[in-house]
Amino acid sequence: MFRLVVAIALGRAAGRLSRRLGRGGSALPGLIAEKIDPHTIERLAGPLPGGVVVITGTNGKTTTTKMLVRMLEGEGRRVVTNSTGSNLARGIATGLIEVASRCGRIDADLAVIEVDEAAVRTLAPRLRPQVMVVTNLARDQLDRFGELATTAAHAAAAVHHAGVAVLNADDPLVADMAGGAGAVRFFGATEDIRRAMPHDSGLYGPDEPAERPALDLCLELADPDGDGQVIELVASTGERASARLQVPGAYNGYNAAAAVLAARQLGVPLERATAALEEVRPAFGRGQVVEYRGRRVKLLLVKNPAGLNQAIRLLCALPPGAPVLIAINDLDADGRDVSWLWDARVENLAETGHCFGTAGVRAYDMALRLKYAGLEAWSETDFSAALARFVEGIPEGETGYLVPTYTAMLRFLDLLLPGTSKREAWA
Amino acid sequence: MSDLVIAHLYPYEMNIYGDTGNVIALRRRLEWRGLEARVDLVPAGAPYEFAGADVVFGGGGQDRSQLQVADDLQRRAAPIREAVSAGTVFLVVCGTYQLFGRRFLTQDGREIPGIGVFAMETIGGRKRMIGNIVVTTPWGDLVGFENHSGRTLLDPGQAALGRVKRGYGNNETRRGEGAVTASCFGTYLHGSLLPKNPAFADELLRRALRRRHGETVDLAPLDDRLEHRAAEAAARRP
Repeated sequence: MFRLVVAIALGRAAGRLSRRLGRGGSALPGLIAEKIDPHTIERLAGPLPGGVVVITGTNGKTTTTKMLVRMLEGEGRRVVTNSTGSNLARGIATGLIEVASRCGRIDADLAVIEVDEAAVRTLAPRLRPQVMVVTNLARDQLDRFGELATTAAHAAAAVHHAGVAVLNADDPLVADMAGGAGAVRFFGATEDIRRAMPHDSGLYGPDEPAERPALDLCLELADPDGDGQVIELVASTGERASARLQVPGAYNGYNAAAAVLAARQLGVPLERATAALEEVRPAFGRGQVVEYRGRRVKLLLVKNPAGLNQAIRLLCALPPGAPVLIAINDLDADGRDVSWLWDARVENLAETGHCFGTAGVRAYDMALRLKYAGLEAWSETDFSAALARFVEGIPEGETGYLVPTYTAMLRFLDLLLPGTSKREAWA
Repeated sequence: MSDLVIAHLYPYEMNIYGDTGNVIALRRRLEWRGLEARVDLVPAGAPYEFAGADVVFGGGGQDRSQLQVADDLQRRAAPIREAVSAGTVFLVVCGTYQLFGRRFLTQDGREIPGIGVFAMETIGGRKRMIGNIVVTTPWGDLVGFENHSGRTLLDPGQAALGRVKRGYGNNETRRGEGAVTASCFGTYLHGSLLPKNPAFADELLRRALRRRHGETVDLAPLDDRLEHRAAEAAARRP
């Protein structure tokens, strides 16, 4: 107990100092606290009366977390979450320290925590989640995570520690984890959505989708990829509910289904959980719209080929002539290996008639990818110059689409909304 | 009737590092010259006559996939070795490159037999060799990205593809990279390799076209400025 008190005090002090020095770094308090008391996370989260929900997977973690938190708060539950922190142990510890009392009590009903898919193996036994959601698994930053099979094995091991696993039935790697779990609930989508949104094995393998388990919640889409898409969720009991989403793309329909199915495990009725989706605004960079010089810039963060394919699908649904800027960086947080650009279905953009530009440290790699897909693009490695040229191409009052990797997004947000990345980004 | 036939070996199993980009580059660089390619996908288990192919490509894969295709490759060993002797162009990257050697001894002590096109062995190690890499070859400096823990040791007399200028290459001595036998090229470079290294891509195409259509065939020059810019940018990255 004494260690925890010291850990909290010193962690917070470090956070204050870091903020005074003008560094955003949200990982520092947690890093220090965990050095002093390596059990900080479980000591803080363990006593919460409603337990812990863990959300992991390659894509969609942040949005799904945000959706579930909104549903639970709508029910009057007090939720602690790591929406502004990192999803590694130190960031999670930071988030908990910040809301804990000096002696380590958190005045909340439950925690909803986004966890990095590579860190979940060690964090799940510590958090002992009541519900664990796995959104999807796709190859991502091979230089950092190593092989997808390893990540899948780690996540599967983590599922053992969950009371109920909420799994994506349409992603064979995720559906396969059911064997290790106690209770399992599956979400998925209608056959046409499932075919249009292949997961990793479907993306790289033959076209035929694999067999899947029976669904507890099925996603239907009325207007896929439109701004303000309407989704319908159908439970295995026959109940239905629909919502107009503020987040774009069929992939966010999957995130919505994951969040609603998780909320149901926590006693939120289908209709109320689905209704709460309407209030969820896009998470940082994930379909977020920024007003800039009389134009709208829509940000579509991409981190891997699956994410880029989602962005491509969304761009294909737009009327021709949309200005699109794809910005590829290769820093550690982006993945140093940009070979994944060649795995995405960039050829699908050939018929869109959009106007393409490329930016970032690897602007020319992206321009080359477009060239081999039969598309011309301008390139600009300097971020300010790229933004100026991009914005110039957007007619006043219209929308341009910015498709950046993680650190490229931070650079652009600093230009679009000065000061944002320091406040919101995680180290 | 296609001008060239490209066989893509194990497209579903060995495709981890954007390797499809190599097939896209070969096909496009033919199309831009008014030539046409047919691409045959050859997954594990599918019968295939290598004598009908002009260029055979095989990419990198995860350990599990490499094990899966190793048996299948054994069954194709004789026709592939014949095709190599007959001058068919091969480009094999990373995991498939390793299996074109005599054997691969994995870190956990297993032996995966290769097909012995290259006189070499690969030994699994702890250290992963990751990063952008530049290799000096007779076809200019090749730029790519490597990510492997296997250390490949060439027998004396086995020609390498080139000399490492930056990065690791075959092993931690940072000397040789890849292997060449006849028109069979093995390498650790992905990234994808061919789009950013157009002179090498054209060398493969030229060899394949001449073999199929006669020694007088040549390739019209293309505007490769963007290719070179992308390669220069990559060569400067860690």
